[in-house]
This record gives sequence, structure tokens and C-alpha cells, in this order.
Amino acid sequence: MKEQWRLLQTGFNTAYANMAIDRAVLVANSEGKVPPTVRFYGWVPPAISIGYFQSLTDEIDLDTCKKLGVNYVRRITGGGAVFHDKELTYSIVIPESHPEISKNIMNSYGRICGAVMKGLQHLGIESEYVPINDIITGGRKISGNAQTRKLETVLQHGTVLMDVDVDKMFSLLKVPNEKIKDKLIADVKQRVTSIKHLLGKEVSFKEVAEAMKMGFEEEFHVELIEGKLSKEELALARKFEKECFSAKDWNHRR
Amino acid sequence: MQSRSIYKVPNGKLLKVFLQYDEKRNLIEEINIMGDFFAYPEEAVEMMENKLKNTLLEREHLLKKISLIIKEYNIQFIGLDAEGLTQGILMCKS
Repeated sequence: MKEQWRLLQTGFNTAYANMAIDRAVLVANSEGKVPPTVRFYGWVPPAISIGYFQSLTDEIDLDTCKKLGVNYVRRITGGGAVFHDKELTYSIVIPESHPEISKNIMNSYGRICGAVMKGLQHLGIESEYVPINDIITGGRKISGNAQTRKLETVLQHGTVLMDVDVDKMFSLLKVPNEKIKDKLIADVKQRVTSIKHLLGKEVSFKEVAEAMKMGFEEEFHVELIEGKLSKEELALARKFEKECFSAKDWNHRR
Repeated sequence: MQSRSIYKVPNGKLLKVFLQYDEKRNLIEEINIMGDFFAYPEEAVEMMENKLKNTLLEREHLLKKISLIIKEYNIQFIGLDAEGLTQGILMCKS
């Protein structure tokens, strides 16, 4: 019999709630209270997340965010700034000691990205993993990923781009050199793609989630059983949301 | 004296350093190590920033100290390394 992991479909939430839920699941899993968990989610309103080590004001135009109603949040994972709009975000939480998870961080990135790639395959998209943390198709990025290890537990989350608006993205993100901004936007347009662009049609969040579910099940030889956040996880998520992810101290700390 | 640098680490990520230093004594007073790299555990970077205070801004010395801190605290960087960090810090001076 296949090992059973929990699947959470938490729908669309604010940036603060999304990051708080990932962290709450990590804590609950580290205490052995919940099984390994795969979660699919979206962002409403659209938001920018920045990596743990990034400077908020260096990366994001806060005035434009406010004007366009875009949230911003600092992640507990490293990596770069991401504009989350039309995408599916996944997260996986699993003990570091689990036999399916390599002690080697780079190897575990590759393995988890393998699940996303298998998911894309179910949508008819062939892709490849490009270390450190990208998945590309036809030379263009379709997924970015970031992992942390805390409390002897792995949390990796990442994006699967369903559609992308590079112009809007760059109105929100700052670039190191304003003089070459136009060129940079043109470059990024060439280097990023989406499911809609590749398939020439809209694919619903539900369809992408179904494909990703199969991808994770195949990669890890498990069965994902749909479940809910426990009462304890919900309480913890509310606490993290209030005290950390929506707090100025956290988001402006660098 | 305050300064900043942006350095693309070869085969790595974009490192941004904010440095406050004593020009006369050539010592680090305050440092922020930022960018889109990964570090495990993440909190170790804040410790690195503290440990680098009062360090001499000289390549060999800096590289040795950074390498020692990485070893002592078992820090694993992805997209950044001791050489890259040393280079990023020294670029603040040029």
C-alpha cells in the first residue's frame, strides 16, 4: 500500500495568510502532529513575496503596490522577489529524515521540482530542472522554487505560472539600473513563459492543481488524501499572520 | 563612511552589500548581507553580520574570517560562497 500524505487545497488567500499557513504546517509536521503535506494555493489580492535576505525597499516599489492594491510579504525562504498573480503556488512540508528526501539540499530541490515537472507533463508541457531553483521549458522559466529547513523539517514552496504580465511585474519591482529597465523588461519577456502562452489557451487553477497532484503522487510514490488544516494549525497560522507576516518589523527588517 | 555594492556571484546569485566602515582604521562597523541567495540556516547570516563587525577590510583577512565563520557554524550557502561574499564586501570600497 502506498504511503498517504495530506493534500491541502486552501484556495486563494492574502500573502500574509499564505506564508503563515506554510509556516504553521511546518511547525505542526515537525511536532509529528500532521503527515507530510502538499498544499496548492493562490494569492488574492496579487502580491509580491521577497526572499528572506532581500531588502524590501530595494526590491519593491511600495507606492505602486499601494496604488495597484498589491500586497507584499517577506518569506522565510531565501531566493528572489516574485510577483504572484495568475499562478498556482505549491508547498511541500516533510521531515528531513523522510526516506524520500535527500540530506543534500540541492538534490532535494531537484526531486521536488521533479514533481512539478511531472505535473506539467500532465498538462502536455515538457520541462527541465535548472539548478539552483528554476524549472524551464523551451529555454524559458515557468516555475521558481525556494526551500528552507527548520526544526528538522523541509518546507519548499514554488510557483507554476499560469499567465504572466511582465509589464505589470516591472511596475512593482525595482531594478538595479533604471537606465536599462526597458531592455531588462524585453529580456525577461523572452525568458519567462506560462501555461497559457505554451498551450495557447486558459487552463483553470483546478486543472493545474489536478495535474500537480498527480505529479507529486508519481514522483514520491504516494497517495495524496485531501484534508484540512487542524485547529492547532489554524490557530498557529493566525498567530504567525498577525505577529510576523503582516508586521512591519518582519517585512521591513532588511 | 557608508557604501553599497551589487555583485553577481559567478554561477551564483545577486549579492547586495551595505557597508558602514571606518576609513582610517579600515574596519567594518556595520554590514548587511542581502540578495536572492539561499543560506541554511537562514539566521546564520545575521550572525555572520555581527561577527564581521570590526573585521579588517583586506581580502585575505576577510576571506579567512568568513570561511572560519562558515565552518564554525556549519552554514551552507547556495548561490553564494566565501569568495563571492569577500568580493561583494570589498567592492563597497572601490
